[in-house]
Amino acid sequence: MTAAPLLEITDLHITYWRRSLLGLRGKPFHAVRGASLSIRPGETLGLVGESGSGKSSIANAVLGLAPVSSGSIRFAGSELAAMNARYPPSLRKRIQAVFQDPYSSLNPAMTVEDIITEPLRVHTELTRAERRAKAIELLQRVSLSEEHLRRHPYQFSGGQRQRIAIASALALQPEMIVLDEPVSALDVSTQNQIINLLYERREALGIAYLLIAHDLALVHHISDRIAVMYLGHIVEEGPSDRVFHAPAHPYTKALLDAVPLLDPQAQRRRRAARKSAPAPEAARVAPTGCPYRNRCPSAMKRCAEESPPAYSVAAGGVASCFLLADARPEAASAASATA
Amino acid sequence: MLIVAFAATVLGVLFLLAVLADWVSPYDPLQQDLMSALQWPSSAHWLGTDDLGRDVLSRLIYGCRIAVIATAEATAIALVIGVPIGLFIGYRGGWWDWIVMRVVEALVSIPGIMVAIVIIAILGPGLHRAMIALGILFSTSFLRLTRGVVLAEREEVYVRSARVVGASETRILLRHIFPNIAPPLIVQTTLTVGAVLLAEAGLSFIGLGIQPPQASWGTMLNTAAAFMDLNWFLAIPPGVAIILTVLSVNLLGDVLRDSIGRGIAAAAPPPASAPRVAPLLARAPSDSPQSSRSDEMLRIEALDIVIAMPGATEIPVITDVSLAIAKGETLGLVGESGSGKTLTGLAILGLLGPVLRMTHGSIRLNGRAIHDLDQKALEAVRGSEVAMVFQDPTTSLNPAFTVGSQIAEVLRIKNGLSAEDARRRTVQLIDRVGIPRAAERAQAYPHELSGGMAQRIAIARALSCNPSLLIADEPTTALDVTVQQEILDLFRDLQDEFGMAMMFVTHDLAVAADVCNRIAVMYAGEVVETAEVDALFADPRHPYTRGLLSALPQGSSRNPPLPIIPGSVPRPGTWPTGCRFQNRCDRRVEACEARIPLVGAERMVRCVHYQNARLKAVLS
Amino acid sequence: MLRLVAQRVLALVPLLLIVSVLTFSFTSLLPSDPVDLILGESGTQEQHDMLRKRMGLDQPVQVRYAAWLGKAVRGDLGTSFFSSVSVTDAVLQRLPVTLSLTAFSALIAIVVGVAAGVAAALKPQSLADRLATLGATFGQAVPNFWFGLILVAIFAVGLRWFPATGFVRFSESPSDWLRSVTLPSIALGLSASAAIARQVRSAMVGVLQQDYIRAARAQGLSRSRVILRHALTNAMVPVVAVLSFQITVLLGGALVVEQVFSINGLGTLAIGAVRQQDIPMLQGLVLVMVALVVAVQLITDIIYGLLNPKARPS
Repeated sequence: MTAAPLLEITDLHITYWRRSLLGLRGKPFHAVRGASLSIRPGETLGLVGESGSGKSSIANAVLGLAPVSSGSIRFAGSELAAMNARYPPSLRKRIQAVFQDPYSSLNPAMTVEDIITEPLRVHTELTRAERRAKAIELLQRVSLSEEHLRRHPYQFSGGQRQRIAIASALALQPEMIVLDEPVSALDVSTQNQIINLLYERREALGIAYLLIAHDLALVHHISDRIAVMYLGHIVEEGPSDRVFHAPAHPYTKALLDAVPLLDPQAQRRRRAARKSAPAPEAARVAPTGCPYRNRCPSAMKRCAEESPPAYSVAAGGVASCFLLADARPEAASAASATA
Repeated sequence: MLIVAFAATVLGVLFLLAVLADWVSPYDPLQQDLMSALQWPSSAHWLGTDDLGRDVLSRLIYGCRIAVIATAEATAIALVIGVPIGLFIGYRGGWWDWIVMRVVEALVSIPGIMVAIVIIAILGPGLHRAMIALGILFSTSFLRLTRGVVLAEREEVYVRSARVVGASETRILLRHIFPNIAPPLIVQTTLTVGAVLLAEAGLSFIGLGIQPPQASWGTMLNTAAAFMDLNWFLAIPPGVAIILTVLSVNLLGDVLRDSIGRGIAAAAPPPASAPRVAPLLARAPSDSPQSSRSDEMLRIEALDIVIAMPGATEIPVITDVSLAIAKGETLGLVGESGSGKTLTGLAILGLLGPVLRMTHGSIRLNGRAIHDLDQKALEAVRGSEVAMVFQDPTTSLNPAFTVGSQIAEVLRIKNGLSAEDARRRTVQLIDRVGIPRAAERAQAYPHELSGGMAQRIAIARALSCNPSLLIADEPTTALDVTVQQEILDLFRDLQDEFGMAMMFVTHDLAVAADVCNRIAVMYAGEVVETAEVDALFADPRHPYTRGLLSALPQGSSRNPPLPIIPGSVPRPGTWPTGCRFQNRCDRRVEACEARIPLVGAERMVRCVHYQNARLKAVLS
Repeated sequence: MLRLVAQRVLALVPLLLIVSVLTFSFTSLLPSDPVDLILGESGTQEQHDMLRKRMGLDQPVQVRYAAWLGKAVRGDLGTSFFSSVSVTDAVLQRLPVTLSLTAFSALIAIVVGVAAGVAAALKPQSLADRLATLGATFGQAVPNFWFGLILVAIFAVGLRWFPATGFVRFSESPSDWLRSVTLPSIALGLSASAAIARQVRSAMVGVLQQDYIRAARAQGLSRSRVILRHALTNAMVPVVAVLSFQITVLLGGALVVEQVFSINGLGTLAIGAVRQQDIPMLQGLVLVMVALVVAVQLITDIIYGLLNPKARPS
């Protein structure tokens, strides 16, 4: 009963080349190393990882903003990776985005009306009046109003700017929106307003979200499934509740343990259970075998010798760790959704 | 404003003279009268005559016309060549960019006047040819400016947004990027006009620009140079004309730059002689006295801080903040952006900067008032008694020096250690903050370290002189969550070992729960609640604290709608009178509009409902 | 350090090559045939052809370029069309004159510019800042040759403290050399010191707002130490980055200012050459100037690398 995926990423590699002195190719930087994941229509996938994990590179690749070295990105049957960032308009308007920093994602030289109606100008034949009517409707949907149309971005607070960005992303009624850290630049007290807005729009319009974030707890609120990235690899993937409450991969566990609890007493108990450690000596990424083994408390000999395949986790999803070796390894395209 | 008026007047007169030259000049500029050559100013010739007896004033007026034509021509050529090429290569990048930029670099590495000389050698001398030469020459600056702005703007997130929308490359370039290039381009144009005027005068002066007998300011100076010993006054009128014109254009450019630049205007300092703390105004005693605590290390009482911009009314940013921290204790100062938590930390160190001023209150460290110390005494306190760790470790270490040298510097200057001892102690400190291979890492530059490593170095430096108070300003906000955990652990360990008091400034209540003994919650420049950490989390009393707690991602694990605090934090200057949280509070009553004091003893809350509850408890 | 130098030298190779191509291509851009220029209307067809052959003008362009470049690298810049002197000799003879003028004025510009810029940046909007900013704006509006004329009128003609014209070589008499270059160098250095002052001011104002300055102050280091060691080191980074450009401007300015003081330097040579369309002379002049600029750029690049660890090769 699984619907056909809307977005399917298979064995994606993204490599950046540092420019050398003469503008020639320099050293490679492997941002994403063989990532696979999929999103069904109307579904939200939370993609979680720390800085440098490659999560934003995946977002950019889906949007046609990052070079794909190898692998495939299929969206509604079309192969995006082969298009070399030149998506036909018919496809372009089905994937929109909201970026992290609302202070730089809105063009300072444009008015709110210009920003919100820009997608309509590019993709539709609507008249100016029709576009304005549409803009007003979109503004109201994000709890802003007509009076804001003529203002410039600098006149708004961070939360309001993010609402404007969302309104612009919704203008073409896309099937999917890539949300790249949409609330991490906002104050705590405004973050939930934006999360609620995103949730409400999804329920109303049936949009699929690819939600990129560093905060597992936040992602958990709104995602159907969560994928966890560590330095270019997806190490775990599964239903949101399962990953959050019963993480299978040691890295996911470490990530969850690192977030301080709101209960000081529980936090004290947790702290007592570990000793403060010096800054890790070994490189963050291991060249062979499991990428996490240098930091992993349960690393075994085997972890250095071979790369762990994706093992299925009993309660749903997969994790790439030999601790799960009793389980049956999944097929290569492991991330394809579980029921 | 005066500057604009001056510049506009000068340029206006210049234009008028250029247009009306035929009517306003008293003589024909070419009419010679060898009988009255080299005359000093007189009623017949207001500015005297030159070597051929021509009237200097008339020649000066006709020179205006040449100046206007010349600059317009050269600037237009420069714009027409430079901007399109700059747009193209900046946006396209790749080989086009590489080749064009190497050619531009080559051109720029030849002195400008030499480039002009060579182009004139090819085209021959004369006004229009010289202006083509200057146009080509100055096109490189437009090209480089346009390319630079395009390169910068191309990486902006709003351009990525436009890509995602599906705007074509041309559309992105012309509709999204170009409007952001226009302001610097306008500034550059005015500056180029000035430069062209100077260059044209220079070329004419050496005889390669305007050809005699035509009158231009440069050729007039050429004549003047030959007769300096006979009549030096000949050099004055054209020189003053050039200076006034270039000055006006440049001033106009500066004003434009300042008014349309996105940069922040340079902040004005307070008057140099003003005391750091304004004389204490007659002011009601603090309505939130802090109960005295044993073993007190820091005590802040009734602190007020304002933004004092010259010519503007003072805007309060911190009002009536009172805090105390005991030895070995960690106080968490929690609040969102704009709450004033960071300023409180900076005020302790006397580092508020030029715009902010402390207008009321006292700060005592170990029982000694430090808020009215002079610069020298304050420098002795900083580092030795109070130290600070900043939010972003990659910017709080000096990029020009090795990290080891930055710690050793403090040890040598503050503690008088010898270079060798300082080096040894530095390595010990770096080792103590958990950095492996300390001696080797001491030689690293800040940009060679990860954020977590750099923050450990910053902590080592802050602790180098055993301060009795450490202020940590959002020290883990810029770090990944697993690194944050390591750094928080380190803070706790170090406090156990060094026994200093700590003021931990953060926006994250959960982080505060982890490291603090007591917490003071700040909102819009005032403390709204203080409590022991366990009590605060078990039973938050202020509606803002409650809202903040439930809004944290860890606060609930259910699906949206998540609990929210409506609205956003009001900016300083827009605070409501009375309770500053009232507009966002779901328990708002009429009494909230009056000023609410911070009440309580061990636990203090600034809320009318808490006030009433306490009153009731006392009465019953 | 060695790698830094090697890297910078390597980066200059394409620049020099492109300059040489540009310089060489003057000949083909010229409206008149060099042979016509030299012989005028008078020569016979045979004479024309012979000269053409002797000058190698019958060869294809890339052969001519290679031959020209090969000679130039060995220091042979050809012979003047008109005076049949070696271009290399003519240029080398005048070079010390222009060079000492440029170097001395650069020294003045850097010292005055940095001092004024720092003083202005320390107290934005103060009297010192306003004066420095006003002075800088004014200084950039004054034509250097006019300023030279005024200096001559006051200090040479009026007060007779300095000679009005001429140049004395350093090797002949250091004190007379100093007297002869002082006025021209001041005239030349004025606008450059104004430009440097503005750059230093804006860089310094920016640096003083940085976190690491606050952190150093929080550590209890004295204000003067923080300004001179921590702030100035970083503020000089962008200034040094454009210093070679300023010196290029000075070199160009020297060509004009020389005329005011009747100094027989590269400027006089260039003006003579352009009047006569003396192509080899102009080519030689451009190449020598670029060589000078490149040398300056190399030095400033290395200083830049020393000031800015991020710019060093890893």
